[in-house]
Amino acid sequence: MFDSLDADLILDAVASVLLVLGGLMSLAAGVGLVRLPDLHSRMHAATKPQVLGLLSLLLAAAITWRSWEWVAIVLLAWGLQLLTAPVSAHVVGRSGYRTKHMRRDLLTHDELASAVERISRDIPPSRG
Amino acid sequence: MLDIAVHITQLLLALGALGSVYRIYKGPSVLDRVISLDVMLIIVASMMIVDMVVNDHQDFILFVVITAVIGFLGAVAIARYVVVRSPEEVAAETSEQDPYPSPPVAPAIPGAAAENEPEAPHDPVSTPRMPGLEPEEDESTSWFSALARSGFTPRRHDAQSADAGAGIGPSAATSKDAGTDAAADPESEHTQDADTAARPDARPDASAAAQKQTQQERQEDRDV
Repeated sequence: MFDSLDADLILDAVASVLLVLGGLMSLAAGVGLVRLPDLHSRMHAATKPQVLGLLSLLLAAAITWRSWEWVAIVLLAWGLQLLTAPVSAHVVGRSGYRTKHMRRDLLTHDELASAVERISRDIPPSRG
Repeated sequence: MLDIAVHITQLLLALGALGSVYRIYKGPSVLDRVISLDVMLIIVASMMIVDMVVNDHQDFILFVVITAVIGFLGAVAIARYVVVRSPEEVAAETSEQDPYPSPPVAPAIPGAAAENEPEAPHDPVSTPRMPGLEPEEDESTSWFSALARSGFTPRRHDAQSADAGAGIGPSAATSKDAGTDAAADPESEHTQDADTAARPDARPDASAAAQKQTQQERQEDRDV
């Protein structure tokens, strides 16, 4: 269907779009880290380049390399990042909640507050 | 076209790194710096990917994989460190006071920190006290808090002798006891002489009481 020149052109175009998308994710993380008011919203901004930005850049690299073997390795790297990013996000978010590095007035709904209150009240074991 | 995209991407990555550096510099808490450092690590890996795209090599892909594997360890370690070892990091929210019952949790001290500055240096006197849960004690310092809890107050020698003089009163009994043992020991006799020499002042001053107290203590030590 395509001759070789058109295929190269299309693949370079896709890789270019993916590169700029990954860069935009990093820019969004930077702007979010500067602008957002408290820890948890900054965490929300910080996870953008960790997952989507890295996926975009790795796919762009694999496209420009033109080989399926590197696609497998790239997906391995992205899958490992996808596995380990929630671990740090969970631990940092939990310690941020416990040490109160957040602004409660910005929360619309605190789902953890009811659990914390239920535990911190000394409930008799009949209700427990 | 790919060259233009690479330049744009490098510019965007640099701007993201600048935002991350700003948050590392400014960030009020250590957790903000931790997540900013994570973003910085990802941006460095992204720059290596862009370099691999430009120069068409695969040398840095191992760095990206290793970053994906062990990149979370620093954040986890520092977050655990924040929770366990620095209970002074308290709330920006001064009105909220909901105590957390589980042990590795920072206490809720209202009004201990300024707004937006959770790690501002606190007054060391106002130690945070957790409501309903005793703070975790270090073993090397637990003897001190046990001592403070027992109500013992270390007294200086003057105050101790004044208490002894006030409690015993004219201390005829102690001087009589001193006189029984004073013949056996010339040093005790000497202090007895000093005691009687100080006696004509006829005031229950601290020096006479102190000498009687020391003499009594010395005799008790000798009896033992």
